[in-house]
Amino acid sequence: MRARVLDRDDALKIVDLLRRQGYEVIAPFYGRGRDTLFDTVTDQNRDRVQIHLPNPYYPPKRYVFPHIERLLKVQRSNGDLHIEPTYEQPLRAIFGIRSCDIAGIFHLDRFYLGREFRDIYYDNRRKNLLLINVVCSDPEVDIGEECFCMCSDTGPAARGHFDLQLMDLGEEFLAVAGTPAGEAMFADPIFKKGTEAHIARRRAILEDVRKRFKPITTSWFSAAIQDVSKGEILEKTWEEIGNRCLECGGCTYVCPACTCFTVTDRQVGPNEIERVRIWDSCGLDGFTRMAGGFNPRRAVHDRRNRRFFRKLAHYFIQRELSMACVGCGRCAAVCHGDIGMPSVVEMVRRATAEVGKAEAEKHELVSH
Amino acid sequence: MNSSAIENVTRPIVPEPIENVYLPKVAVLDRVVDEIHELKTFCWHFEDPAEQRAFKRFRPGQFAQVSLFGVGEFPTSLPPSPTEDETFFTVRQVGSCTSALHQLKAGDKFAIRGPYGNGFPMEEYYGKNLVFVAGGIGLIPLRSAIVYALAHRDKFQRIQIFHGAKTPKELMYVPKLLEWERTPGVDCHMTVDRAGADWTGNVGVVGSLFKKPGVEVPVDNTIAFVCGPPIMFRFVIKDLLGMGFQERNIVSTLERYMKCGVGKCGHCCIGVAYVCVDGPVFTYEQIKKLGEDI
Ligand code: SF4
Ligand code: FES
Repeated sequence: MRARVLDRDDALKIVDLLRRQGYEVIAPFYGRGRDTLFDTVTDQNRDRVQIHLPNPYYPPKRYVFPHIERLLKVQRSNGDLHIEPTYEQPLRAIFGIRSCDIAGIFHLDRFYLGREFRDIYYDNRRKNLLLINVVCSDPEVDIGEECFCMCSDTGPAARGHFDLQLMDLGEEFLAVAGTPAGEAMFADPIFKKGTEAHIARRRAILEDVRKRFKPITTSWFSAAIQDVSKGEILEKTWEEIGNRCLECGGCTYVCPACTCFTVTDRQVGPNEIERVRIWDSCGLDGFTRMAGGFNPRRAVHDRRNRRFFRKLAHYFIQRELSMACVGCGRCAAVCHGDIGMPSVVEMVRRATAEVGKAEAEKHELVSH
Repeated sequence: MNSSAIENVTRPIVPEPIENVYLPKVAVLDRVVDEIHELKTFCWHFEDPAEQRAFKRFRPGQFAQVSLFGVGEFPTSLPPSPTEDETFFTVRQVGSCTSALHQLKAGDKFAIRGPYGNGFPMEEYYGKNLVFVAGGIGLIPLRSAIVYALAHRDKFQRIQIFHGAKTPKELMYVPKLLEWERTPGVDCHMTVDRAGADWTGNVGVVGSLFKKPGVEVPVDNTIAFVCGPPIMFRFVIKDLLGMGFQERNIVSTLERYMKCGVGKCGHCCIGVAYVCVDGPVFTYEQIKKLGEDI
């Protein structure tokens, strides 16, 4: 079995171990208020690394897909152009990444490294990234109001795509290796052999945690996927969703599975230009606007439609063999208009249910 | 800890080395040809001959991304056929990037990457009649397929070209059109919406050419290429469907705001398609399903 146990007090020694090996270790912290965030571990903040805390709004996605990332440096001299790609390949570990965000990174892997073209910038950042997953096992702090990983089938315990997974058993942690790299860490003496009792305890805790999620309507997730894929959503429903969108782009910025970007050039010296890519949002006006002003996607509801269609349509799930929503609930938490994913799923589902009912009634009238 | 172990397990296996799809290559502008109002043709070659050779494997209907550093990048269709010697684009001055391109003079350097997109499946059309219908600048993306078809004349049955513009001054590639008019085995017709006394040709929308005496558009075993402004597109489609064309035998190329050209930035995504990788060439049957404005 690729599992070990370690003492509660030793959990953060994993961070030390990785730092000694040269990794930049990213971990979750409390901010100044009730906010939480991912940050680089230093000698100063090491003791403040949190195992249990609400998942930060700003997802760890930026460590593989930075908010602003330089792609090229271009020098101009005597009419000549020298184009030089700029790569970064950090040795980095994310300690304490939640299961939903593990699924998020898996989705980004599928998206940026899959299909016709591979994204070399993403690949470079991903290459030496180690993921130390922590299972959300403390319902009081770990699980938010909006979490629905149970429905998206991404949590509370990731089933793969991590290097090492830690689960709090009380006095001890259970560590499961997901990759040879994770397993290699077991060489350190903090890891000890576990027993059947540990595994049983893990099972019991998980069973309990699963019951602690709010029984929210996102159990309609798969039904909504069906409705969207079949194109059965009425224009009226999309419009209702669109009318509540303030076009702030917040949902796309906090989403661990959103992938869109724009590319822009900036002057950095008299003869030097940098080309950078910047996160972009399909929720913003102008996302599809072409030179000359023609915008094929004008109405707000069209843009909302796009985001949910892109995430829920079966076609895209199949295209990437992974879904662009991982159930983290962040968009629901930040949306002013309450059209985060759980809410949209509910609206979509209710609307189709009504149509279905109306049709059934019509049917009854006819057949009587 | 060895990182190769991480590589093999934590991410999908990707063959090494990965090419940088965002890296444009330096090109040199050879000459600029004035076309119609605001439109110019830019003939260029890659600085590196190996790049030029690699690029020349493009297919009709594909596109390229043009970089004007400091301003940005824009997608442009490729009007030349791979069977021609020269590589060039015909670009209208509409935004900041295209304006920057219009400022360039022979000898200036810029950068290009591509070719991208699916292109027209010309081999699949072997043995068929080809009907090209181009409204205004819609002839730019079709030029490549026309020249390609003529270079492989024996592979196709009848070839018809219909080109319409608002006024005679707005007809595209006139020298080329005149050459096609003279080419045996090609049926080339032009029309304008409005004309002065010096125009002796046809007046009317491009669809009016289909019904002209002496013009007989083959419907069976025919592929119709349709490109042009939205209104023209809708009317021509109606005409063609009325004549009995199957939706899947009508092809067009879509233009979208594109940032990456390689299916990553998300800007060109419509319906279930990424125009840059699944298109820009689609059949009318597909376009209908995408469900957005043309
Ligand atoms: S769509 Fe919302 S719930 Fe789904 S992964 Fe993105 S932010 Fe999280
Ligand atoms: S242009 Fe970027 S995804 Fe198509």
